[in-house]
Amino acid sequence: MAVSKSVIVFHTLLPEFEYFRPKTLQEALELLDKYQGDAKVMAGGTGLLFFMRLRWMQAKYVIDIKGIKELHTIKYEEGKGLTVGATVTLSELFENEIVKNKYPILWDGIRQLADMHIRNRATLVGNLCFGMPSADTAPALLTLKAKLNVVSVNGTRTIELKDFFKGEGKTALKPNEMVTSVFIPEPPEGAKGRYLKFVRTADDGPIMGIAVLVANPRDPAKRIVRIAFSNVVSTPIIIDEVEELFKQDKPLGELAEEAIKLIKSKVTPKSDVRGSRELREHLMEYGTRYLLKTLIEG
Amino acid sequence: MKYVGKSIPRIDREKVAGDAEYAYDFTLPGMVYAKLVAAPYAHAKILKVKYDEALKVPGVLAVFTGADFPFKVGIYAADRDVLAREKVLYYGHPVAAVVAETLEAAEKAAELIEVEYEPLPPVLDALEAMKPDAPLVHEKLHEYKHAPFIYPKPGTNIATYLKLRKGNIEEGFSKADVVVENTYYEPLISQGYLENWVGIARVKSDGTVEIWSSHQSPFAVRNLLATSLGLPIHKVVVHHMYLGGGFGGKAGLLLEHIPVLFSMKLGGRPVRLELNREENSFYMAQRAGYYFKMKTGATKDGKLVAHWGEYILDAGAYADYTVNIARSVGLKPFGPFEIEHVHVDSYAVYTNKVPTTAFRGFGLMEVLFAAERQMDLLAKKLGMDPVEFRLKNVLVPGKSLTHTQERLREDAGDPAGAIREAARLIEWGKPPEQPKEPWKFRGKGFAAFWKGPVQPSNAAASAIVKLNDDGSVDVLVGTGEMGQGTITALAQIVAEELGIPVEKIRIAPERRTDMVAYTWQTVGSRGLFSDGQALIRALEDLKSQIRKIAAQVFRVFEDQIEIRDGKACVVGEPWECISLAEMALGYMYPNGNAIGGPLIGRGSHVPVRNTIPDPETGKSVPAPFYTFGAGAVEVEVDLISGRVKVLKAVMVLDTPAINPMLVAGQVYGGTVMGINIALIEELKFDENGRLLNPNFTEYKVARAGDIPDEMIFKTLGVGQKDAPYGAKGVGELTMLPWPAAVANAIANAIGVELYELPMKPDKIIEEVKKQRPELLEKVKEALKIKG
Repeated sequence: MAVSKSVIVFHTLLPEFEYFRPKTLQEALELLDKYQGDAKVMAGGTGLLFFMRLRWMQAKYVIDIKGIKELHTIKYEEGKGLTVGATVTLSELFENEIVKNKYPILWDGIRQLADMHIRNRATLVGNLCFGMPSADTAPALLTLKAKLNVVSVNGTRTIELKDFFKGEGKTALKPNEMVTSVFIPEPPEGAKGRYLKFVRTADDGPIMGIAVLVANPRDPAKRIVRIAFSNVVSTPIIIDEVEELFKQDKPLGELAEEAIKLIKSKVTPKSDVRGSRELREHLMEYGTRYLLKTLIEG
Repeated sequence: MKYVGKSIPRIDREKVAGDAEYAYDFTLPGMVYAKLVAAPYAHAKILKVKYDEALKVPGVLAVFTGADFPFKVGIYAADRDVLAREKVLYYGHPVAAVVAETLEAAEKAAELIEVEYEPLPPVLDALEAMKPDAPLVHEKLHEYKHAPFIYPKPGTNIATYLKLRKGNIEEGFSKADVVVENTYYEPLISQGYLENWVGIARVKSDGTVEIWSSHQSPFAVRNLLATSLGLPIHKVVVHHMYLGGGFGGKAGLLLEHIPVLFSMKLGGRPVRLELNREENSFYMAQRAGYYFKMKTGATKDGKLVAHWGEYILDAGAYADYTVNIARSVGLKPFGPFEIEHVHVDSYAVYTNKVPTTAFRGFGLMEVLFAAERQMDLLAKKLGMDPVEFRLKNVLVPGKSLTHTQERLREDAGDPAGAIREAARLIEWGKPPEQPKEPWKFRGKGFAAFWKGPVQPSNAAASAIVKLNDDGSVDVLVGTGEMGQGTITALAQIVAEELGIPVEKIRIAPERRTDMVAYTWQTVGSRGLFSDGQALIRALEDLKSQIRKIAAQVFRVFEDQIEIRDGKACVVGEPWECISLAEMALGYMYPNGNAIGGPLIGRGSHVPVRNTIPDPETGKSVPAPFYTFGAGAVEVEVDLISGRVKVLKAVMVLDTPAINPMLVAGQVYGGTVMGINIALIEELKFDENGRLLNPNFTEYKVARAGDIPDEMIFKTLGVGQKDAPYGAKGVGELTMLPWPAAVANAIANAIGVELYELPMKPDKIIEEVKKQRPELLEKVKEALKIKG
């Protein structure tokens, strides 16, 4: 049996593309509308350029949004929430007092994302927009019920983050749309949270990660527990039913056991180059137990 | 001593300033670019290569296929096609190449090449490859030229084998009261150096071939290139520049022949072949995979009596240096212990995976992982302390016979001293303090090690020292500088011998083979020992010329002249001196008469008393020295994450140090590298033989955050008399104990015995579930929420 198949070329160079650096959002949106799927939006470039060199992503036109001033804003409204523009870097957020004090679960995710050199360049919105299951900020943002502000020449819309991920490398964005900011509601009163990331070496991408947010654990009426994961399946996921489960007026130890059982029944982890399914099953179970215990008792 | 033994800062500080030049920086006017294209099958017949469309791309000069180069090249066996012919042998095998005016044009054209294949069943595992009905990677093995000490077995996948026989193995096991038998596995890994390979070649009108490339050993590249292409040695000029890491992966001839051959086809135009990280993983050679089957026996009072082994190296599609590593692990099949009866067969086996070659330690870290696990497992069975068990069996200089039946020279070193000191520094016998988190477990582990250079019995070195006008010195040596610091240590020797400051000595980082002194290779931790001895002889030669001139000037005997502080003085009358500057180019009397002329010292080294291994028994004196040492760790195993953290690492080496700071650098680097290999590094392949992690996103080298909290090292200063100032090699040695020490520590921490690398979280959790499931129940219990 003869098989014809083209050879493999391991590229050193980026493919040819036309580069735009618009100064206004309107200009960017018009370009995006004109070129539709042939154009890609670039903020930090740490993801896009790597993916393009490896030919995992194609773009004839690259629209660099770093020149659009209005996208480089962090806005906090007490009691409402935090809005982070599309070109705000992870380092800027890491150093932001509001993020550190009001959103420690997100800060924990940012702290553990890649290394300082990458964080100086990479953006929070960019971390979400590739639709990668390994996005380290996604689990925290899922537990915080973040929303994405999306615009196109046709107008604006808001997408719940949990509806945004549509499979590995796929999002709910239409070809002519872009995310201008992410809105993160004020965390529930008394909320505590952590992102536990499992790695192979320091500064690694996650084998998988777990974000757990807990508020008022000892008060069944006001108790909130939310659990989300990175890199367990093909997208970042939040297990919605966990929140309901913890509303029950039962001993916390019992609820935790039920939650573990629920998660195991809902999630079948993947196997890949970073870790086996069996390892992820273990990490998911023991990591979740650990976070629940430390956040509830601590 | 004023300079030797002192922590003098490195002389190659231009690396820090950013103006050090590496081969990757090098360009030539009129240079064109080569791009290789790879096959997407692990094993397939090539039916047709079509490239008319590629030739139409503007700027493309030529497309080459295997048919353009109908011969094979290789280091010890000519088993490698320039570009695949007839068959592709691994996923990523270069099957064609484009040369173009720009890299852009070359990459564009590369995509337009089309190849038709007929897939063949691949063989992806070394044990499978040993089976009689396994698919053959090289059907025409009987036609390949090979070195006389390599024994390929035509009709099989065996690239070479080595037999080691000492005593009588049956008799040995009949004396054994306890026997431990296990199979160990270590996967293929990457050398993980920073600088990807590059080569720039041109052919001059007089037929001289010039190459600038990223390599360790300029004279090996010259020899192998000339031999492979049938060129006279003096018509090949190899340029060596600073090297951004090699770790064995750039030890011999890697891809230099490709730009040279392309340049020949293009009328001598300079051709550059530069690899990116993915290409480097597929086109360069990686480290072999290993299976070690071992059976080791001891008497009930703790005396080793027998060791049997079958060692199988997964050499990939081309065996390169791996054939010699099969010899290396066969000749040093166990740790630094005396065993009366030894029987080992070692094989390098072809598979349809990426080619393999040397790696720091040349198989010793790998074999010691298995052997030093055997030692701990035997000690456990005997109910004996593992350190005490090692001391009971350790080689004794002047007395013991090694595994190759060599009586160790009396100044060979201090193997027992190293073991004792490492045990003291890790506080062996004192149980580690257990952390308060009940899912974390601490344990200590120990491993002894030894190694000498694996080299031909006549691996030579030479040195030339030129005295300059102002009394400064130029030193010409052939050894490469790849971060190991040899040139700094050599400069310290010159400073000590001539009594001049290190600042007055230049050892240029660049080498060209027709302009510096010869050395065999920059490998095997041999640089300082071999080039250092040659250099000391060159300095002796220079000093005798200095003494001769000064004796004539002062009308004394030559032995009444001493050289100190850059001057030649009459013994006992330090005010009667001539500076070295005054005689560097010839001493001139006041009346204008001159004597001497420019002073040049030359010196040579060749190992003495080394012998070629006997093909039936391996009996030999294979190396001019052994460095002995021991390593110990304290680890913490986390049963939530499955990760192992090394809290403390101790290393003791028996040798003196020319420069303690440089040795410390080697120890820290080797420790971090060895521990990371123990814990996480592996090249992963899918069921079709496709390499899944060809770049550092998924192949994880250690980062700063992975450095152990505490690293302690010590040298014992026990020198070998013919070594420069007694100092033996350390570069590779600093890696050797870690996989074994970490595995032994894990066993002591959680009672789980591991026989495979890497000891990654997947493996830890899997084995805890199998061997100590109650530990996980304990962790679960500890994580229960109260209330």
